[in-house]
This record gives sequence, C-alpha cells and structure tokens, in this order.
Amino acid sequence: MALRQMLSAAEAYLEEAGAQRTVLPVIQPADPFLDMAGEDLRRRIFLTESETGQALCLRPEFTIPVCLQHLAQFKEKRDPVLRPEIAERNDGPPEPIRYGLCAQVFRQHRDGDSEFFQAGIEDLGTEDWIAADARALADAMGLVARLRGTDAGLRATLGDQAVFAAILDALGLPDGWQMRLLRAFGQPEALANALNVLSGREAPAVTQDERVAGLLAAGDDDALLVHIEASMAHSGISPGAGRRPEEIVARLKERAALAATRLPDDALAALETFIALRVPLAEAGRALTAFEAEAGINVTERIELFAARIEAIRLAGIDLGAITYDAAFGRPLDYYTGLVFEIGIEGLAKPLASGGRYDRLLTLLGADRTIPGVGFVAWLDRIEALEAASE
Amino acid sequence: MTGTVTLALPSKGRLKEQSIAVLRTAGYDVREPEDSRQYRARVEGGDGLEIAFLSASEIARELGAGTVDLGVTGEDLVRESLPAWEDKVSIEARLGFGRADVIVAVPDCWFDVRTMADLDDVAAHFRAGHGRRLRIATKYWRLTQEFFSRRHGIQVYRIVESLGATEGAPAAGSADVIVDITSSGSTLRANDLRILDDGVILQSEACLVANRMSLAGEKGERMRQIAAAVQAAA
Repeated sequence: MALRQMLSAAEAYLEEAGAQRTVLPVIQPADPFLDMAGEDLRRRIFLTESETGQALCLRPEFTIPVCLQHLAQFKEKRDPVLRPEIAERNDGPPEPIRYGLCAQVFRQHRDGDSEFFQAGIEDLGTEDWIAADARALADAMGLVARLRGTDAGLRATLGDQAVFAAILDALGLPDGWQMRLLRAFGQPEALANALNVLSGREAPAVTQDERVAGLLAAGDDDALLVHIEASMAHSGISPGAGRRPEEIVARLKERAALAATRLPDDALAALETFIALRVPLAEAGRALTAFEAEAGINVTERIELFAARIEAIRLAGIDLGAITYDAAFGRPLDYYTGLVFEIGIEGLAKPLASGGRYDRLLTLLGADRTIPGVGFVAWLDRIEALEAASE
Repeated sequence: MTGTVTLALPSKGRLKEQSIAVLRTAGYDVREPEDSRQYRARVEGGDGLEIAFLSASEIARELGAGTVDLGVTGEDLVRESLPAWEDKVSIEARLGFGRADVIVAVPDCWFDVRTMADLDDVAAHFRAGHGRRLRIATKYWRLTQEFFSRRHGIQVYRIVESLGATEGAPAAGSADVIVDITSSGSTLRANDLRILDDGVILQSEACLVANRMSLAGEKGERMRQIAAAVQAAA
C-alpha cells in the first residue's frame, strides 16, 4: 500500500473501531511536552517562539494535546455560567471518549526523516481498564495487520508496571525505596544501579554535614529546622521560591531512617528473578503464580487482574501465541502506570506500533480527579517502508 | 606538497599562552602577528601549518564543520557543542592545562541532597509539592541531559538557559540547582553551593582535537605528525 492509501485505510479502520475522529493543531505550546516528557525530548522536538515569547513546537505526538483538549472540553461542560443545567447534575467524571488520530508528527532524528505519519486511538475516561487495555492492544494489532494486509509474523511484547509496583509493596519495602525502584522501572541500567546501591553491593561514599548529623541523631527537629532556615537565609535563598526548610527536615529524617537498612537478600533475589521473567503471554499467569510462591509473597490480587486482562485479550480475538510478557518492560516517564506494549515483526528492531496506559497524565495536566487513559499509535511510514522492501 | 593544515588556537588569555607554549616545546614556533587584530599566524619550523586564532567555543564548532583541521579547545566545549561529536572529531592529545570540571551543585542548605540518587528523589516529588518541575540552570544543555537522563534515569526536570553567572541562579530564584564548570570551586563556595558526591559530569582539560574528515584525507599524515609531537610535548 502506498502511503496515501495507507492514510485512508487507517482512517477507515479508526472509524470502524468507533473512535471519534480528531484533528489537532500542528503548532502546539511546547511547555506541556517539556514538563511532562522531560528535557530529553527537547533536542528531538522542533521548537520555536511566538511573537510574545511563548515557546511553541511542532506536534511531536498525540497523547498530551489530546489530553489537554479532553480537559478543556470537560471544563467548558461543567462551567456553571455556560451550561447551568449540566453543571448542576453532572459533577461526575467526564464522559469517556476514544479519540481517533491520523496525522503527521514531527521529531528530530539523528538519521532519517523528521516527519512521520502516525495513526492511533487515545481512550480517555474508560473506567473498565481491563476492557480498555485489551481493546487498545487489539485495535493496535488489528490496525497494523490491516495496513500490512496480513498478520503474518506480527509479534507483540507486553509489560506492566503495576505488577512490579504490587511486588515492591508485597515485599514490604519502605515507600521511598518503592518509589525509587518504580522510577527506574523500564530502564535496565538505572534499575540495576538502584538495586546495587539499596542492597549494599555497591556502597558509594556519601558525605554528611556534621552539625546536621548531630541534630538528627539527637532527634532535635526544632533545632534542625532553625539551622536549615539560618543556612538558607545566609545563602540568600528564599524559602518560598523552592524547597522549604520543613521539606528538607522531613527528607533528612526519612533518609536517616533508611540509611541504616539494606535491601534484604531474599527481596533482592526476588526482584532480580522477577525482572528476568520473559514468557509467552498465555503462560504469564502461571509463571507469576510460581514466582509468587517462590518469593513467598502475596500478590494474588494483582495476578488475578493480570490474568483477567489476558483473557480479555484472548476474547478480543488476538492470538496469544504472538505476545510475549516481558516483566521488566516499561517506559521511563512518570505518568505511565500500567500496561505498555510494542508491536513489531520478527527481525525488525523498530516497533510498528506502541502503546500504554497513562493514568497519571491527566492529573499531572491539571485534572482535579483521576481520569484513566490508554492509547497507542502505529507508525505508518515504517509499515509502508516494510511493504516497499518486501515487494 | 599537500594542502596546508589549519590549526585553531584560543585567541586570548591563559589558554592562548599555554597553547603557544606547548606548540613551541613540540617544535612549532608560532609567530604572533604584530597587528593584534590579525587572526592568522605563521609557524616557524612548520611548513604547511597555519594558525587561526578563534574563541574556544568557535574552535569546537569549526572543528565539527571541518573549516579547521586541528584545534586546541576544552573537552567540555567539544562534547557540548557538537552533536555526535565522536563521529566528527577525535581527541588527539590531552594537554594538561585548562583543567576544569563540569559539575552538578545544589544549595548548601539542601543538607539531605548529597548524591544524584537524592536529587532524583527530590526531582520526582518536586511537581507535587511546588506545582512545577525542578529547574536546573546551565549553559551545558547536552551534557546535562546525557548525565541526568541517560546516566541517572532522571527525566523530570527543566533546564533554564543561563548565559553567565550561573552560580547566582539559586539565590536569584531562577533555578533550584546548577550545572556549571569550575576549576577551584571557589566561586561555588562563595555562593554557598555544594558539588554532589557523585556530581562530576566531566573532568575537562584543553585538548588537541582533529576533524575526522581531514584526518582521513591527504592532510592526515601531516596532522598525525603534529599531534604526535604535541602529545610528546604535553
């Protein structure tokens, strides 16, 4: 299929899938992307400035602008002046909407093109996450198969940060450690580093301030606070501009409490066994149950939910044999919370489609309650290049 | 006679003097132009070698573009100003002067932040407590991103561009922490800033740097001779 045909085929697919066709402006405010996706994205987006100095960029992806649009509509709907009749009775969560997108995105790459066509669905507000996850994966695999004209050789890798989070919790690790390990999830090097440090296998020399150490040991919080306030004032740092003295005291105490402890050997062994787990999805439930027994922890509830989603994926007509569960697979951004997946062809490094659940993103963007979100995009140019190469 | 090799040297200050001194020891006597506005110089004892005086940051850029063949500049500038620097240039000799570290520093009063892991923790919670991401003032965008994102897996922070007096940013309230270059650490101390225990991003020094295209071409042999002599003299 040529790219032009592929675009209309993708649009037809999104419509059949019941997604609401959505057009996003090409030029977007840059701050939400830099704030959410981090500075690493900065060198990959095309940045410019408005006349008034506002940072603007060419749309690098769909998820963040769709979420912003969703929130804006929601706000307008609940506005008591604009819509008094709705605002009064509709204080519940916004209607779930599945947004269908098919357009160009722009990112700089060291080699190759900087503009790509993508098509995908962002499902915002659907509370039944098991059904929504399965549908996102099924839609993604269906779209790729439709555009290729076959599902032959299609493979998917699936990961889920929520399982890792449940294991950390079941191991009874301190909150600070759980969060640190969760942040490193999906980044093998950072995760290995964190495990090495927490288990004491690598104990970097850390300096300390004698005075502060003394006050901490004496448990004199008031004196500690006074000391920090004085130090802040001496350096001319305004306590209102950034970190507050109370915050520093609280973290000092938390840190001191953890400094004396080490990640126990059995917890370390369990975590290392878990992140090495890689099995066909059909066997993932059994493998997780075996892991649970071996580690001597209770994550049964999470495993049952995981198994229910596998069943939902099977019922959606997906061949489970084409999907691998990779326990360590995740994305390094803090708004991804659960399912992530990539769809590709054996022997091809770059995915043809990828997706994931981002239940934290809408809150980070300003929603006053949790709005679940899951979505995917397919890379149309990659699929087209693959077809062209095989002809 | 193959083409003339152009060697770029810093146009002023101690870097200039030290570069000229190391070249002299290597047997290349740079004859500085009598007119100080003149930015080219000849070399006694170096046939087919020409000197161009440029600012240190320009030297890194020109080396990357291939408009000069060799240059003396800081490793920090090479790594910062050239994307995929290793594809474009190679470091032929480390010269032992112009030493300075690119570092991550936090306010002294952040007694709980001693390591990058601490900073990761603070950055992760920053938005929830302050409604914005942690801000880092720096002119080293690339080095900061590589160190924070790639090396330490820290994704959630914002860089605030700083074109001078970076060390004043925390007190001015324009940033929370800084990434900057320091040789003795005295400016940091004067501003009540402390380098994190594992916060040294790069130990930089002046280097003799070669453009890879030139090195692979007809001037390559001559360039390698010069590099070997400078290496022996450094």
